[in-house]
Amino acid sequence: MTSTGLRTKRNWSWHLSLGWLLLLAAAALLADLFSLPTGPDLLRSNAAPLTPGHLLGTDSQGQDVLRGMLYGARTALLVSIPTTLLASALGTALGVAAGYWGNTRLRIPKHWLGSVAVALIFYIFFAAPANSVLAGWWPWCTAGGGLLLSVALSRFSQWRTTVALPVDSLVSAAIVFLAALPRLLLVVLVATAVTPSVTTLVLLLTLTFWVPTARLIRAEVRRIRWLPYLEAAVALGLPAHQILLRHVLPNCWHVVRTAVPLSLAILISLETTLSFLGVGLPPELPSWGRLLAAGRIAPSCWWLIVFPTIALLLTALSLRRLVAAPEPHSRVLQAP
Amino acid sequence: MAGRFFSQLGQTLLISWGIITLLFLLTRTLPNEQDLLARFASSSVPLAASAQQLQVAQAQARHRLGLDIPLFYLTQADVSEAPLAPRWRWTGTQNQYHRWLSKLLQGDTGQSYRTGEPVGELLRGSLYHTVSLTLLSAALLAGLSLPLGIWLAVSGRRLALATLFALDTLPLFVVALLLLLFLASPDMLALFPAYGLGTDAVSFRSAPINYLSYLVLPVASLVLTGITAPAVQLAGALQVEIKKEYVLAARAKGLSAAEALRRHALRNALLPSITLLTDLLPNLLAGSLVVELIFALPGFGRLLAEAAAARDFPVLLAGVGLVVVVRQISLWLAEALYLLADPRLRNRPA
Amino acid sequence: MRLLPSLVLLLVLCGALTGCTASTDSADTIRIRWPSDPETLDPLLVSSPQALEVINLLHCSLLTSNPEQLQIVPWLVESLPKISRHDSLTRLTYQLRAEATWDNGQPVLARDVAFTLRVMHCPGLPTEFARAQYGFVQEIELDSADSRRFTLICSSASPDIVLASGDYSILPEYSLDPLGTLRAVPLALLRTDTAEAVRRHPALRAFAARYRQAQLSRHPDRLPGCGPYRLKSWESNRYMVLERKAGWWANRLPKPPPWLQARPEKLAYQIIPDNTTALLALRRGSLDLYPMPTARDFTAMRASADTARLAFYTADSYDMLVVGFNTQRPMLRTAATRRALSLLFNIPDLMQATHQGLAYRSVSLINPHDRLAYQDSLPNLIFSPVEARRQLQLAGWQLRPAGGWWNGKIGPLALRISYHAGATEHETVALQFQAAAARIGVEVQLRPAEAGLLQQQLATGDTDMFIRKTSGNPFAYNFMPLLHTRGIGLINYSRFSQPAADELIEAITAEPSPERHARLLKRFQVLLRRESPLVVLYFTRNRLITTRRVTSVRTLSVRPGYDVLSLQLASAKP
Repeated sequence: MTSTGLRTKRNWSWHLSLGWLLLLAAAALLADLFSLPTGPDLLRSNAAPLTPGHLLGTDSQGQDVLRGMLYGARTALLVSIPTTLLASALGTALGVAAGYWGNTRLRIPKHWLGSVAVALIFYIFFAAPANSVLAGWWPWCTAGGGLLLSVALSRFSQWRTTVALPVDSLVSAAIVFLAALPRLLLVVLVATAVTPSVTTLVLLLTLTFWVPTARLIRAEVRRIRWLPYLEAAVALGLPAHQILLRHVLPNCWHVVRTAVPLSLAILISLETTLSFLGVGLPPELPSWGRLLAAGRIAPSCWWLIVFPTIALLLTALSLRRLVAAPEPHSRVLQAP
Repeated sequence: MAGRFFSQLGQTLLISWGIITLLFLLTRTLPNEQDLLARFASSSVPLAASAQQLQVAQAQARHRLGLDIPLFYLTQADVSEAPLAPRWRWTGTQNQYHRWLSKLLQGDTGQSYRTGEPVGELLRGSLYHTVSLTLLSAALLAGLSLPLGIWLAVSGRRLALATLFALDTLPLFVVALLLLLFLASPDMLALFPAYGLGTDAVSFRSAPINYLSYLVLPVASLVLTGITAPAVQLAGALQVEIKKEYVLAARAKGLSAAEALRRHALRNALLPSITLLTDLLPNLLAGSLVVELIFALPGFGRLLAEAAAARDFPVLLAGVGLVVVVRQISLWLAEALYLLADPRLRNRPA
Repeated sequence: MRLLPSLVLLLVLCGALTGCTASTDSADTIRIRWPSDPETLDPLLVSSPQALEVINLLHCSLLTSNPEQLQIVPWLVESLPKISRHDSLTRLTYQLRAEATWDNGQPVLARDVAFTLRVMHCPGLPTEFARAQYGFVQEIELDSADSRRFTLICSSASPDIVLASGDYSILPEYSLDPLGTLRAVPLALLRTDTAEAVRRHPALRAFAARYRQAQLSRHPDRLPGCGPYRLKSWESNRYMVLERKAGWWANRLPKPPPWLQARPEKLAYQIIPDNTTALLALRRGSLDLYPMPTARDFTAMRASADTARLAFYTADSYDMLVVGFNTQRPMLRTAATRRALSLLFNIPDLMQATHQGLAYRSVSLINPHDRLAYQDSLPNLIFSPVEARRQLQLAGWQLRPAGGWWNGKIGPLALRISYHAGATEHETVALQFQAAAARIGVEVQLRPAEAGLLQQQLATGDTDMFIRKTSGNPFAYNFMPLLHTRGIGLINYSRFSQPAADELIEAITAEPSPERHARLLKRFQVLLRRESPLVVLYFTRNRLITTRRVTSVRTLSVRPGYDVLSLQLASAKP
């Protein structure tokens, strides 16, 4: 009885979630087909919903909210959701690496490490002569030199021994660095270095947003690293990638699953902050975050907050339902 | 044990130093040339000074602030025709970084570019109010998320979960504004003060309740938006544990579902939540900018944001350095708590 | 979840207690909203408008402006200076008021003025910009017979230097330098050869150390001024309370003019960054005065029912929104192109959208209220993409079938427009321009940038167009920094450079006769319209909301938008 009840319930909400995401995709694809007012309608700024010509009202710049919602769906699908997934993937990878290998268990041959270091130092400190043929190929030249050095060094036995790479410390340092950097500073730094575009935005968000996932995964992997079945796998001599893919990842999957939909909302508001500071999406590209930001300036215009929030919430919940379909409840606890 | 502690400490210090050095160099790549000038351009006084005088003044200001010497030990060398020309030029110890670091080692964090006030005092002043806000919110978040997580895991209420998600989806500013509009507005309930921390006379010692009343809405908005992640994470981890046989055994022993979770499953499920909870303190410390702005609280977030906007490097670096240190401490704390929660980790190499 | 009810109970209890203990010390205090902290209160370093506002209450300068008639009036001095010119030098002779005293009863003397000028030029102090600003004062001559009389010798003949020669706060020598160690240092030497001055007068170094030690930026109480107020308390980023001095010297004047009368007993500036919070505080009565709310908030509040408790004021200001073209870009080099593009701004609608009509138009940088100088024969810019297209063609541009406007080898015409990220008003203008330009086939890219970055882009000319707020000045027209060739790289962001314009700007700055001055200005406005390096979209109106508690509010067209000295509380006796 209970199990069938659960299954139908799951199907119902599962279909609803899928439906919403499909609707979103349809809105994103078909946004151009609706003849919505483009450009600001200056004489009707901050218009309430159901104003003629603006079904969902306008923001303080006279931009149509319905148009913002539809094109915002496109932005969400093309920027926010991929970024969330990318950042989660990066965070998972780094978290698993840090948790599984720790500071001592990833060993690298000395000749390899040594030649990389030499090549890097050489590249950093010396420039190719300007105007020579080498100038354009300089990075490749140093890399090639490094490779040769590595081959040469590997002939000596003392260079073939391995040293431990402190993966955990490196990841922790990166986490502290990113988490300590004030956002405004980061944004301005990026904006001085590159011209803002959608690609840089996705990269920037991914590079800053993997931190929470990585920390969560690292903690979980550290716990399961010493569980008997993993010890057994290691003792059997299975290669590391197989252990990681077959045994570690599936067991910490639930941590990622709960974190992904939560981070979508944070990410969308982050993307807004960035746009607000001038390195995010171009100002003419509507997004839900931009609508929310308009609501920040005019809090009395509830329609600027309510519509994007509902869309955000439904998307986050649907994602959770699909990406993170919760397991059926244990019967132990369902029993009265 | 002591050896391990000191090596850990050394490593932490090294990492912190590396990060702060990197930040020092990064911040100085920001455009600030025009900043001093902008100050003048925006003033409404009719400009009597000529362009040349302005440039001289700017050069003097840069000299006074020590911005006219090389940034680091190495400076980018000119492009040269020689084979294997060094990319960098040694500039000696007369550089901004050397000066700053040697002063820092003597305990002198410098003066703010904007006000000339010692950075230490500025930080202390802003932390004084932020710490009470942060500690209160962190304590409430930790205290509420544990029972909430267990309750969610036991009852598996979809509605409660959806509500939590909704709270999480709402941006912080919306929650803060809603609280203001409902609980501090003359149209609804004017229960709490709308802004600030009251007057001189109000401090935690002299009028604790009055002082706390100013903190209720800011703390509430931080707690409401922050509660979802740790609670849901804990509930998720607990639900994984629930299926394990030892919980079944505990239930068979006659424990109630909640008790079985609290006594047996909680420790196993706690590790990811510990991460989130120890992250709270540094996150709240640096990230309460929105709340500080909306409720007009003088805090650390505002100090850092203003310093970044005005390129007030000494304040910015000291503030960011402080955050780095607190982050490191929180990482340590997390490690210690992992060991406490899961004794099995103790006997293993790190 | 039994927690919830108890939590609610706690909240209510807390709220009730707050209600009871709410401070009631506001009976004689006028509470004014500030969006940000003044940061530094050293009178020689002021930069923020908030600091300027307070400095003018704590300190007095020689001259001030009568903000209602927009005239320069004497403040610490008896009358405007006597002017005499010798070659390129101007001598301004001042006579200090006999009544003017410091807080300790000592009179304000000419040697205090001399001391102030020396402090400005004292090496080792962060006063570089005061140095540049008042660098034209070459020497001060004290009258040996009258200790209140002195002459400033200035190296400029411009009529604008009269106000500039007297608008810095006078510092008390008795408090900063009781032994008079700086008196022996000649100002001329200090100005020209600082190193030599320090070598001859080591006292300078000791003084600078003392001055820095005192941290006057944060401790203005260590620098007692001769203004009507003293600082009672200042909590950074929270509030600042000023208190009227009981025995202020101007109270002894027989018939003091308005700028020498201080009405409010106590002023409490409340620092509230968020507009919504500030409005809420105003409506709850924890604020009395809310200067410069956003135009949207202002109109919404005025329309709401609160008018019984609140009063609303506006005044035409000298702040304007300006769009500039980078005149050195190949595409924008010809004036005809710039003129054509300026027809793409729908100014009336923009005024409505961004200011709900709380703005007014002008043909140029001159405020239309300046009847004498305003060039009213110029027509307002019209919004007409059709006309813009026609004028582009006249300027030599051709619309190619493949798309885009080409002018010989230059093209396609595409523009980047820079503005301050987060400034909605500017963004609205940019979006409107973009939409209008798209209609005639010109592609426009918006480039919002953070303040520092924007500043850099503008100064180095790394932009095609920009949107900026500019503050005009009712007392002097100095277009040297804004449009003169020598302003390029500084504030001349349009990089406009033309010999005829340079000559005209120099002539305007130097012309003493008001009639000829106005004629030159009119010519300059015609030239500006013809060359169109800048397009003035509109001037804005200052806005002010007060509670009905505050009476006799006088709004001003200059910052801060109201006359704080004239404010009175309804309950207080006049």
